[in-house]
Amino acid sequence: MSVVSLDELELRLRRLAGVVAVGFVETDDLVLVEVQAGPDADDDLARDATLLAAEYVRGSVAVEVVRWGDGGPHEPEARLRLVDLATDPGVGEVTVRLARGDEEALGRASTAAGLPAAVEATIVAVRTFAPELPYLPGWARTVETTPDRRFLVVASVTDPLTRTHRRGVAEGATPIEGAVRATLSALNRSIARDL
Amino acid sequence: MATTNESLVAAARESTGLATVYRALDDLVDLYALDDAAVVVDVPGFGRQVLHAGRRPLRRDEQGLHAAEPGLYLEPPLDDPVVSRLMLALGTLALRHDAGAATPS
Repeated sequence: MSVVSLDELELRLRRLAGVVAVGFVETDDLVLVEVQAGPDADDDLARDATLLAAEYVRGSVAVEVVRWGDGGPHEPEARLRLVDLATDPGVGEVTVRLARGDEEALGRASTAAGLPAAVEATIVAVRTFAPELPYLPGWARTVETTPDRRFLVVASVTDPLTRTHRRGVAEGATPIEGAVRATLSALNRSIARDL
Repeated sequence: MATTNESLVAAARESTGLATVYRALDDLVDLYALDDAAVVVDVPGFGRQVLHAGRRPLRRDEQGLHAAEPGLYLEPPLDDPVVSRLMLALGTLALRHDAGAATPS
């Protein structure tokens, strides 16, 4: 693993307020750091964990923070969810259907570029609910395939003005589903106030 | 070839506390052909901590380890209270040791 000192990084992450677990996944060109946190974690946990990870990891690193409340994963009040996902190999298109409450929106993108099409289609659908969304599609990669044939995918989106990157991680029954869910994971927290 | 005990002792002699705990969890998984293993400890300065075999992410944490009481959690379960207590003690000592080692004098 391309980490200067894995033990030291893990120890420092575990010392951050509210952190209860730290895990790592490494691919050829990315180190994924998962930080699980309880309800007493600071609001700045994602930033602090990312700064620490960047200090210790050589190359690309993605940090996923999983926050738990008293009874389960923290769910923002306003949250987009994936309703349906379809690919049409004949047309070469992926269609993503998202919902917020009873409202639904579609996003389509050409699959010519491969897995990033899922990120693009998701962003197109998200813009129906958040027209001012500053993020553009970045990339998506499958970082792990589980023994039960589920796909762990990292997706990245970028705000070109602020050069801010947001990355999300999610599982799916297919890489495309994983990429859509990972894109929502990357965006949901930042767009919640606009929904 | 080093036996399980030898490699674990070598980790304790030469590596960090965290690395030794993960070595022990990996040995448990190998020795008993387990699907998974984790130890939950409660250490002053850290609070409740979950150490998962292989340093693997908990992801959706289907086992609810983030809220579990301190102890050893194996899949499938292994009813050996001595092993559980030893792993709990090792995990606690490991974090205390590493925290002390990382604190500037």
